[in-house]
Parts: sequence; structure tokens; C-alpha cells
Amino acid sequence: MLKRIEDWNYYELLSVERTASQDEIWQAYQAALATYRDGSLAVYGLVAEAERGLILERIQEAFQTLRDAKKRTAYDLALLRHAPYFPPKAPFRKSVGKLEIEDAPPKKTPWARLMRIFSRNP
Amino acid sequence: MDKKIWAVGGGKGGTGKSFIAASLGLHLASLDREVVLVDADLGAPNLHTLLGIKASHPDLGDFLTNAVPSLEETAVETPYRGLRIVKGSENILFTANLNHYKKLRLLRQLRQLKAPNVILDLGTGSSFNTLDFFLSANPGVVVATPEPTAIENTYLFLKSCIMRVLKLYMDHYKIQDLHQKMLDQIEKNSQSLYGFFKSLMESDRSYGTILYRALRSFRPCLVMNKTRDERDVLLGRSMADVARKYLLIDMKYLGAVPNDDDVHESLRGLRPFYLEHKDSAAARAIRRMSEDLAYSIEFTLRTPPEIRLPDA
Repeated sequence: MLKRIEDWNYYELLSVERTASQDEIWQAYQAALATYRDGSLAVYGLVAEAERGLILERIQEAFQTLRDAKKRTAYDLALLRHAPYFPPKAPFRKSVGKLEIEDAPPKKTPWARLMRIFSRNP
Repeated sequence: MDKKIWAVGGGKGGTGKSFIAASLGLHLASLDREVVLVDADLGAPNLHTLLGIKASHPDLGDFLTNAVPSLEETAVETPYRGLRIVKGSENILFTANLNHYKKLRLLRQLRQLKAPNVILDLGTGSSFNTLDFFLSANPGVVVATPEPTAIENTYLFLKSCIMRVLKLYMDHYKIQDLHQKMLDQIEKNSQSLYGFFKSLMESDRSYGTILYRALRSFRPCLVMNKTRDERDVLLGRSMADVARKYLLIDMKYLGAVPNDDDVHESLRGLRPFYLEHKDSAAARAIRRMSEDLAYSIEFTLRTPPEIRLPDA
């Protein structure tokens, strides 16, 4: 996803999922305001003043749209028309107790059963 | 052996890189995981002091001057069970300016150390040696403090890492002519990284895709050290967000380590803070980060820690 910040959608701007609740949007908005407010340390040395003003404007715009149910529905529909949404997959976590291949029990396929019968009765 | 090489680095001195590296090492060792701490701060090594150990030979300099044949032989035992250390060299002038061959030899030998966890304590700044050690590790942890100087230098360090990653890929794919273009563009301002990729995608999509993937594979972790209030804690999260938007990298915010005056006292007494104040908020934060890193999806250690029954 190589997009200019101006092209980021409202959800990307606030770093929330499209299924985010109003509470989550409010919290993300507060966090974004703290990040890009005037005199914020988080942008020190990296983001120019003009860029900071621009992103702050977009964050306001995003919040104004997403907090209003009607505007949000219209915006979501417009987004869906542009690109389908796939919710994030559940995080996969390797189990440390998982059996290694050599520890795994033998497969119970019909062929394996047959082989076992013949190997028992040569 | 399932080996993890951890690197603790950052752009500014005094942020607590060695403190975090030593504490992570002590924590992992306390879980019965073998750890080798390597003082890779080539210019100003002092990791041994944080562990209350006096400088002695063999050290990293002995390996680099071929006085000992392998790095493994410089990893000496510490008073802490499961923890060994490769001390920094006393011969700073020689080791601080490693040549390319010696750097490659050191990187190769780091991978051959007989321990599942190797933690590199890196020096300050963005020299090629420091960047290459940081990039060779996974996870790479950047330590910052909630001060403008540290934040500015952290972004500079991250930018240098990005440019180094792209340069290595450009060298590999023999597209060195892009390097000067990148230097000219990226140095200008924060939006220039996007601009560079945009123009590259337009001119040569295949190389653009390769370099963009290389950039996305660089996923450092951030620790905010010496925090004093909730605002400082949230600053780390904000920095990760800014890095995602303006440097196009996914930086994981590991968390904050609260400021603790006892760190100073422990250091004066040449005692490791982590062991002396195990129940402090700072020690708890380090434990949480260490476990988060060690058990997170990407850095899963396959062998569960040995369960020790309490003494009867």
C-alpha cells in the first residue's frame, strides 16, 4: 500500500478498523490529536509544519464524518465501491507445545492400515 | 539451534540502551534461557560495568585482532546463571573503525555463538557498522527518551536504517545509479520517501516493488525509556504512528520503562538494577517487553521454558 497521506482513507488516518465502534473512533481521534497537535514531540524533527497542519485538517475531517452515523454509512458505501473490505484475519500464534513432525502419531489412511496388517503378518 | 539475535540501538547517547540490553539479558537468563550479551558499542563500551563486572581479557578486541580464533572464546561467564558476556574492547581506536572484512567476520561469528539468545548492545549514531549490526538482528529494538533531542535522533537513526536497507538491496540488484537519486530525494523532507517510491514505481515498477518490499520488511521495535507520566508513555505510540505514515515502516511500540532514581544508585554500586529491584515498575515493564518480544507471533521461541518446582 503505497499511498500519499492525502489519499489515505479516514480509517487509515485514525489507525482504526472499519468496524471500529464510536468509542474506539473517539479514542483514536484523541490519540491522533495528541500526535499532531502544535508543539507535539512525536513529529519533532521529521514532519514539517505545513505537513502537520495538513494531516490535522484531514484528521478533523475524518472524525467529523465517522462520528455521524449517516455520514459514516455513506462514506463506507463509497469506500466499498472503490475497494472491497476484508476484515483482518485472526492472529496466528504458533503453539510452543505443538507436536513436531517426528512426534506426530501415524496417519490412519486405509493404505497405512493395510500396510500395518501386512507388516504384522508377513 | 533456534537462535535469536536481539539488537538494542538508537540514535542518541544516554537513552538507556545498555541498561535495556543488560536487563533483557538478565531476564531471559532468569528464565533458564542461555544468553550471550555482546557489547557491540565499538566506541564506548561499558555493558560489563552495568552488570558489575570489571573489564578484563579476553574481549571483543582480542577477537578482532585475532588474539583468539573465535568469538565464542571471548564469551566469558558472568556471576549470573545462564548469562555470558562478550566485553567491549579497551582498544577503542582500533575497534571503533572496523573495516568491512572484520565486520562481516564478526557478523558471521555472532550467528555461530552457542546460545539461543544473543543480545547486541549497540553504540550511538548511524555509522555503517552500527546500522549493519542493527539490521542483522531480529528483533531490533530502538530506545528513545521523551525529549526532543532523543526523538529527533531516533527518526534520524530510523531514516539511516531505511536508507541502508535500500542501499543493500540496490547493490544486490546492481541498481546503484538509484542510490544517488535516493540520497538527493530522501534527505529533503519527510514526504520525500513517498515521492521517491512514487517516481520509482512510475519509471521502473519491478525495482520499485522490490525496494518497497525490502522497506516493509524492516520492522523495528520501539521502547520509550525514562518516562515520567502518561503523556510520555503515549508519545511512543504516537511515534510509531508517525513512522508508519511518514517513513512507511511498521514500528512496533513495545512500551515504556518508567524513570527510576534507583537505577542511578544501582549503577553507582556496580549492581544490576534489574536484579536489585525486581519488583520495581521499571523491572516489571522490561519483563513484559521481553516476554512480548520472545513470545510474539514472529519471534516465537519453540522450546517452552523449563518449569521449576519450588523447593520442598
